[in-house]
Amino acid sequence: MWRRKLLSLLSNDLLRRFRPASISGLPLRFYSKLHSSPLCIRDETSRPCGGARCDFLESLQFISSRSYSSHPVENSATRCWNCDYLARSSPFLVCETCRSVQPVDDSVDYFNIFGLEKNYEIDGNNLEGKYKDWQKKLHPDLVHTKSEREKDYAAEQSARVIDAYRTLGDMLARAIYVLKLEGVNIDEEETVSEPELLTEILEIREAVEEAADAQALKQIQSQMEDKLRHWSKSFADAIRCRKLGDAVISVRRMKYYARVKEEIFKRL
Amino acid sequence: MLRFVTKKALGLASAEAPIRPIQILPRLYHERVVEHYNNPRNVGSFDKNDPSVGTGLVGAPACGDVMKLQIKVDEETGKIVDARFKTFGCGSAIASSSVATEWVKGKQMEEVLSIKNTEIAKHLSLPPVKLHCSMLAEDAIKAAVKDYEAKRAKVNGNWDASVRAADA
Repeated sequence: MWRRKLLSLLSNDLLRRFRPASISGLPLRFYSKLHSSPLCIRDETSRPCGGARCDFLESLQFISSRSYSSHPVENSATRCWNCDYLARSSPFLVCETCRSVQPVDDSVDYFNIFGLEKNYEIDGNNLEGKYKDWQKKLHPDLVHTKSEREKDYAAEQSARVIDAYRTLGDMLARAIYVLKLEGVNIDEEETVSEPELLTEILEIREAVEEAADAQALKQIQSQMEDKLRHWSKSFADAIRCRKLGDAVISVRRMKYYARVKEEIFKRL
Repeated sequence: MLRFVTKKALGLASAEAPIRPIQILPRLYHERVVEHYNNPRNVGSFDKNDPSVGTGLVGAPACGDVMKLQIKVDEETGKIVDARFKTFGCGSAIASSSVATEWVKGKQMEEVLSIKNTEIAKHLSLPPVKLHCSMLAEDAIKAAVKDYEAKRAKVNGNWDASVRAADA
C-alpha cells in the first residue's frame, strides 16, 4: 500500500521534471488539432464540436493535475485502474506500464482511437494497420488469464475499436458519424418527397431488377460508386464550410446510392 | 420468416384452410406481411401523364426506401377506382404500400386522406422499429391525392383560360 503511494509520488516527481517538454508538446498537438481540423474553425472559447471539446477538457485536467501534483486530480479516465499510472497519451485504451486494458471512455471518439484528425477526409491513412495494432493489445483472447473486470474491459474496448474501424472505413458510415459528432442525427422517421431524386432512384432500382446479367449489374454498380464518390466529396465540402444542411442532403443521397449497391450485391 | 412460408406451403398442400393462430414471435414477419410480400396486390404503374391519375412518390432517406403509389380517379364522382404501387424497400414497406392500395380502392379521395399509418401498422402487426414504413405509406397516399388535385387545378385553370380566350 505504502509502496504504491511511494510509486505514485515518485512518478509525479518524474513527471514534474519532464513537465516543460510534455506540456509544450501537449498544447501543440492540441492546437494543431484545433486549427487544422475543419470542424473546429471557431475559437476555443465558444463551444467547439463535441470531441475536440472533450479533448480540451481532458487536456486541461491533465495540465492541472500536474500543476497541483500534491493533490492530483483523480480522474478514472486518465489513470490506470490497475497500477494508477497517469495517462500520458490519448487515447488511453491500454496502460503502457502494466498493459492492462482500460474501461471504455466515451469521450474518446473514433477518430481519436486511430490517431486521426476529426476530418471527414481520411483517405490514405493506414486504418487497417492501426486497427491490427490495437487488437494486438486489446483483444479478449489476450486476457484469458486476467481478472473478470479486465476481461469485460477488453471485450468492450475491442468491440469499440472494431466499431470505429468499420465506421471510419466506410464513406457513408463515416459521414453519418461526423454529422453525429456535430450533433446532427439523421431522423429515421422522416419521409421526403424530392421528386427528382426519387424518380432517379426508382429508375435505377427498376434497372437493377430487370438487369439481364452480372455485367449489367456491375455497370450499374460502378455508376453508383461514382455517384457515391461525387456526393462524398460534396459532403466533405459542405462540412468544411460548415453547411450542415447541405451535408445532410449529401448524406441522404449517399444513403440511397449505397442502398442500391447493397441490392446489387445481393443479386450478384 | 422461412417458418411461416413453409407452414403456408404445407397448409396449401394439405388442401385445408386452417385458421392459423396469429403467432407473435419476436423478430419474425407477421403472416399478413409475408402474404403481401409473396402475393403483392396491385403492383404496377399507370401512365403518369394520364389526367385521371395521381402519383405519390415518397422516400425514407434513413433506410433508402422509395415508394410510388398511383391512384386512378373517376373524375365525375371523385372516387378512386384503381390503384397501383411500386416499392423498393423492406418487406414491411412493401406490405404497407400493398395494403394502402387495397384500402384506397373504391373510396372517395377525401376519405382516404384519413387513413392513418397506425391503422396500417396494426393491420400488419408491425413492430415499433418498422412503424416508419407505414408512415411512408400514409404519406404516399396523401401525395398521390395531392398530385391528382394539383393536376385537376391545372387542367381547370387551362380550361378556364381557353374558355375566356374563346369568348374574347
